[in-house]
Amino acid sequence: MAAVTLTNVVKRFGTFEVVHGANIDIADGEFVVFVGPSGCGKSTLLRMVAGLEDISGGEIAIGGKVVNDVEPADRGIAMVFQSYALYPHMTVEQNLSFGLRMNGNPKADTQRRVKRAAEILCIDELMQRRPKQLSGGQRQRVAIGRAIVREPQVFLFDEPLSNLDAELRVQMRVEISRLHKELGVTMIYVTHDQTEAMTLADRIVVLKAGNVEQIGAPLDLYDDPANRFVAGFIGSPKMNFIAAQVVDLSNSAATVELVNHGGARLRKPLCGPLPAAGAEVVLGVRPEHFFEAGEGDCDIPVKADVAEHLGSVSYVYADAGPEELIIEREARRQRASSDRFTVSIKAERSLLFDKTGARIR
Amino acid sequence: MRYRNATAYRFLTPYLLIFAIFWIWPIISSFLISFQATRTVPWRFAPTFNWGRLIGDPAFFNALKNTLLILVIQVPVMISLAVVMAVLLNSPLLKARGLYRFAFFAPVVVGEVAYSAVFRLMFSLDFGIVNKLLNSVGLEKIDWFSNVTPAMALIMIAVTWRWAGYNAIIILAGLQSIPDDVYEAATLDRVSKLRQFFYITLPLLKPVIVFCAVLSIIGTMQLFTEPFLITERGGPGGGTETLGLLLYRQGFRSLNFGYASAIAYTMAGLAIAITLVQLWLTREPK
Ligand SMILES: Nc1ncnc2c1ncn2[C@@H]1O[C@H](COP(=O)(O)OP(=O)(O)OP(=O)(O)O)[C@@H](O)[C@H]1O
Ligand SMILES: [Mg+2]
Repeated sequence: MAAVTLTNVVKRFGTFEVVHGANIDIADGEFVVFVGPSGCGKSTLLRMVAGLEDISGGEIAIGGKVVNDVEPADRGIAMVFQSYALYPHMTVEQNLSFGLRMNGNPKADTQRRVKRAAEILCIDELMQRRPKQLSGGQRQRVAIGRAIVREPQVFLFDEPLSNLDAELRVQMRVEISRLHKELGVTMIYVTHDQTEAMTLADRIVVLKAGNVEQIGAPLDLYDDPANRFVAGFIGSPKMNFIAAQVVDLSNSAATVELVNHGGARLRKPLCGPLPAAGAEVVLGVRPEHFFEAGEGDCDIPVKADVAEHLGSVSYVYADAGPEELIIEREARRQRASSDRFTVSIKAERSLLFDKTGARIR
Repeated sequence: MRYRNATAYRFLTPYLLIFAIFWIWPIISSFLISFQATRTVPWRFAPTFNWGRLIGDPAFFNALKNTLLILVIQVPVMISLAVVMAVLLNSPLLKARGLYRFAFFAPVVVGEVAYSAVFRLMFSLDFGIVNKLLNSVGLEKIDWFSNVTPAMALIMIAVTWRWAGYNAIIILAGLQSIPDDVYEAATLDRVSKLRQFFYITLPLLKPVIVFCAVLSIIGTMQLFTEPFLITERGGPGGGTETLGLLLYRQGFRSLNFGYASAIAYTMAGLAIAITLVQLWLTREPK
């Protein structure tokens, strides 16, 4: 059984600290996605679990055993690299069996494992080809196959789909999901694509500049982000952030004025500590949480600038004073793109953040 | 011919002329000369005169034997050494990589006469540092210049010193084109560093190594400078005479251009043949 536990994990390159004490608990069989912008330390964290990078501080345990000083090959992990990292001079079959052959695994068992991996990934036909003779998607399958034959307790994926085209990416995403169901082992998956994170993960770890910002199930992060960064990162198109000021405080509610929208006011019930009167705050509203005029708690007029019609929905990029808002609307094909209209915000469908980006609940 | 092409060819004319006069013509001409008796005036056509002599000439077979001996010992040793040097150069532990890279390349740019003079000094019987070092570790002095075996060894050492670094730099470029993550994948597959070298690095370097080997074979077939300058015209007593040296002796000492041309064509033919065999032996499996 292989749960993975990171306790206060720190990584320094020389004196430059890139991971600042990460605490992450991953249950056995769980699919966890590390997500964050480029350079936030996702790969570094994954490579530390794999043993390809030293751990500068803290502890990593796999299956209850601290592995800080365990050789990569002895950690019971297998990794799929972004660039596939196939052995270019070997056939697909040799790529799959290389590790086992080098370790004197019995021939029959090696063949069995290779055959099984090939069946799972539907690459039987390709066994005698070399990586050069494969398409990107096929290479990716072989790379995953090479991980499968090791029969690891933990799979590590570092942006495995980022070199594929959009359609193939969706297809491989589904396959990885299926693979997880089929094998039932722990998987850690790194991506900077929040859609991949939302669709694949049991739980998502959002990282920013070497810090864990929030850990939670995809919909929990969507509904209840801990801060403005997570709110902005999860969800597509991005959440709108509207400048506001606290103008009135009452029992467990704050009334904020949307400073760029002609004094529109919204009363937001709160359950935590109240912000100070007069404080500058930010109201977060997702594009899909704008309502028809009058249906919400606060109406704001906007002027449509550009509209993207996707068929089922349309995204209107609206000028609203100095702020640009992205508003999801039902697709109304006949509507001209440059008209003015009014949208409405509901208190329960909006989030409040303080100036530092922390959530005001 | 379309006008556009004609213009292009007019621009190319000076080059093509020079190429024809100084490349194509000598190649054709020496082929023709190899079928002429050139010791008599005027030269006369005698197809078997030079080629017949070649087949029965002990000096030719001596030179051929020496050349091939140097080839089969020196080239593999040098290429192996170059691979090792390249791997060390590529090590992340190495400091001042640029300096080493320059140092390895330097022998190629040093003048041949200067380098030969230094080698003669270093290997001199009584004053040479090499014999001093041999003495200091309790070994006999070696008279490098008057015995055939040490003289051949000296030639091989000198050629290796001059070209190993050059080949190492080429191989280093090949090494650097192997992505790190292939090695990381192998590490996760529990493949030791040594096995990674034999099962990953070497196979992936094969095209580069073959390239270096072909260049070295061609170079060694034409070997001239070292036996001419270091062991004084193939000494002792022709013990280090190579085909290149024999050619020079016949062509420019005895002015026997017909025979020299036949030797030149033999050298070229052998270099091509050996290279083809080499390429065939190391071809990519289908
Ligand atoms: N070998 C290294 N030496 C020094 N700094 C490094 C090294 N590897 C990574 N870094 C730094 O560590 C930080 C995190 O890098 P990492 O590769 O983990 O980012 P990432 O989140 O995977 O980004 P991406 O999405 O672009 O892959 C970056 O600032 C990077 O510059
Ligand atoms: Mg990365």
